Amino acid sequence: MFERTFRPLSLLAIFLTACSGNATDGQARRSGKPPLNEVTVLLDAGYAGSWPAGLDPATSPTGRANLSIMNAIFGGLFQLTANADGSNPRIVGVLASGFEITNGGKTLIVRLRDGVLFSDGTPLDAEAVRYNIERNLATPCSCAPTAWPWADKNRTVISDEHTIALNFSRPFGAVINAFPVSNINWIASPTALERMGEDQFKLAPVGAGPFRVVGDQLSAVLTLERNPKYWQEGRPYLDKLVFRSIGSEQAGVQALLSGDAQLYEGMTSTSLMDLAASRNDIVVTQQPPTSTYVIQLNTLRPPFDDERARSALYYATDVDAIVHGIFSDRYPRSQSFTAPGGLFHEGSVPGYREFDLERARAIVQELGGIKVTLNTIRTFDGERIATALQSQWKEAGIEVTTQAHELGNVIQTFRGGTWQAFLQTAGSYDPEAGPGVSFRFRSDGIYTGVHDEKLDAILVEAAASHDDQMRFQLYQSAGKLISDKAYAPFLFAANRAQVATRDLSGPGLTTKIPPIMVNTAILWTDVKRNLE
Amino acid sequence: MIYSKSGLWTDAAALSSPRLELCRAILRRLVIVGTVLIGVSALTFFVLGILPGNAAQTLFGQDATPEQLARIEAELNLDRPILERYNLWAVEALHGNLGHSLASHQSATKLLADRLPVTIELVVLALLLSLILAVPAALVASRWPARFIDRSVAAINITTLSIPSYVFALILVLMFSVHLRLLPAIGFVPLRESVVRNLESMTLPALAIALPLFGLYTRFLRGDLLEQLLHHDYIVAAKAKGIGSLRILVRHALPNSISGLLTVIGVNFGALIGGTVIIEQIFALPGIGKLLLESVHARDVPIVQAIVVTLAAISTGVNLAIDALYGTIDPRTRNASF
Repeated sequence: MFERTFRPLSLLAIFLTACSGNATDGQARRSGKPPLNEVTVLLDAGYAGSWPAGLDPATSPTGRANLSIMNAIFGGLFQLTANADGSNPRIVGVLASGFEITNGGKTLIVRLRDGVLFSDGTPLDAEAVRYNIERNLATPCSCAPTAWPWADKNRTVISDEHTIALNFSRPFGAVINAFPVSNINWIASPTALERMGEDQFKLAPVGAGPFRVVGDQLSAVLTLERNPKYWQEGRPYLDKLVFRSIGSEQAGVQALLSGDAQLYEGMTSTSLMDLAASRNDIVVTQQPPTSTYVIQLNTLRPPFDDERARSALYYATDVDAIVHGIFSDRYPRSQSFTAPGGLFHEGSVPGYREFDLERARAIVQELGGIKVTLNTIRTFDGERIATALQSQWKEAGIEVTTQAHELGNVIQTFRGGTWQAFLQTAGSYDPEAGPGVSFRFRSDGIYTGVHDEKLDAILVEAAASHDDQMRFQLYQSAGKLISDKAYAPFLFAANRAQVATRDLSGPGLTTKIPPIMVNTAILWTDVKRNLE
Repeated sequence: MIYSKSGLWTDAAALSSPRLELCRAILRRLVIVGTVLIGVSALTFFVLGILPGNAAQTLFGQDATPEQLARIEAELNLDRPILERYNLWAVEALHGNLGHSLASHQSATKLLADRLPVTIELVVLALLLSLILAVPAALVASRWPARFIDRSVAAINITTLSIPSYVFALILVLMFSVHLRLLPAIGFVPLRESVVRNLESMTLPALAIALPLFGLYTRFLRGDLLEQLLHHDYIVAAKAKGIGSLRILVRHALPNSISGLLTVIGVNFGALIGGTVIIEQIFALPGIGKLLLESVHARDVPIVQAIVVTLAAISTGVNLAIDALYGTIDPRTRNASF
């Protein structure tokens, strides 16, 4: 959040850190003792490092942002994994041993592993899963999976101790891909919940993941220790995991260099990534992008209820200049809601309106001028892109005011309905999951500016289908329709990086796994630290 | 007539006794402190109340039904007029209950108890470090005015005053953590765990805050010392007695400058606490500044309110203590100090 101020200092940091020593364990070096088998993870205070409402999956609206923490505590029924180079991404069972889709795609049968225990020693069985799903659906939290097409009756049916069926009102093809981004992937111990009460549980939640909570200062420090009851013998490899919230990526890199932390998760600053990558003792792993920057337009209100005004923005936006000038050509351009790391990626859309300043000027003149307020979330990159767009659009004669919002207040802007344009990111590993295409473009969503029945029908059909080829075609149609109607100019697919000391390795950390939603889900069970 | 310590009834002349004057002065000051706290709490409450948006909506998100929102608003008293809400809050606060976090439901008192010690330690260490550096620097500079050493101190002053504390923070970490590897770059070790590691973890954050303060205090103190050395008769008298320059500075001029320095510290105390917000972010310290920033972003009104009132209380308390110290340092100001 202080990156605007710190960014120029990174040049100084690049110079000064170039000749510093190796990033070995800081505390061990100062005390003269060997390093411990523990890892300190730094999380962005404005996103993954913010958990003001605690860590109860059913009540924490920031759970998806705290993906890494939640997976360390709760493990997850399913997780996304991939080959080391990011190829062949696939969903695998973690606490679940497998799944089956039946009843024409309207039922998901989840099979749980035998012998899985919560860290309080109670069993993770089908009844615990049912308890969690029903509890999640009953809370008014924005994290509740209410967007899933649940059946009106018998939405969860237990067959035996280790088998539970989830029933939907219509086929739900994206269900298994949507699992790792949903809070129902994180199963909390019902016994611990009842014993501790909700208010205590959210501070020290009990799950069946590889680690258990031993200390929690909300949005500041979270200390986890190895869960001795974890189902997989010999795992996790690490004894202790400390998550620290930090307000500056620059300070985070310095902490890595001093050996006081071993991982900065989800770095966005390209200059700091370059700095870290230039050192032998730091590994920078840039994850394959799964979401793209998009300018959402409110098609219900002037000026963007007129397709010509929307077209003008397409023609006035020089994406190449932004990607080159601000991001050193690091990111691929997008014309749709998919990105190279995700499913159903479509590199270009036929007939997409490219940058054409003269046409933009002509349209603006024809309309007698366009005034627009461009909103963005208050992030360093968001504000930089908004400023670039403002200057580009001004060239076309568009009057632009920019307005930055805190993440938590975005919902009010959308609910108010008076917004005109909003710079956002759209997409996730599966376009239907998380803040994917339906989240941003379907009429019944909150975070949408598009109300098009034809597009709704395509997206519902794509979400329902279990046929990947058919889904691909449907998402192509959706991308074409969005482009043809000029509903939202897409910019580029951005990806975050894991920056780790060289003694650390693990899936999603030093190997590539597509981000399931903004951040990659690190598989903590397999993360190792080389202490030699 | 009042009952005196000696057990005799005395007349109204006793009212002018120094002890009674002190009691009166303290009472007067407590009234002022109370008024300040009421003003600060009311202002914070109303400003937070008129901000756009709804805390219940922010907390429970897009899928909350109108009935759920209404229930939550009733639970949080958000459906009542703001004046009534303030009265309810003030009554509870007077009973020691500063409310509960909307986000985590933790008591504000508990959150403050967890986080405040970190910030207080940071502020105290920063203050101590700045004074430890500033007093000798000012003495040296005023002992040899317009000489090389004075000019060097002036250059350092200007540098430390010109650079914000968060820039110092990054430079200090590069020097002492990345290159020299002497002190940790981030984190906090509680005193109960290890005194040495606690001090290690707080040295760089405290120094980052202390350096700009050092510039300010040195500049003030040097000017005040020189003013005395050049213009005050008692210094001339001391010199005439053959007392050495250094002794005159330390034993005669410095004590007279302390009350002025205390004033500067008091005036600057609010800014000192404000500076911790950024420093706690950079050094990942779990202090009150970090909590304040987080609570503002989450629109966690009770916590913001509790923090602001607590900081106002600390700030006024410190200034009250400084006022009391004037009397101790300079007895001539005892009656005038309150």
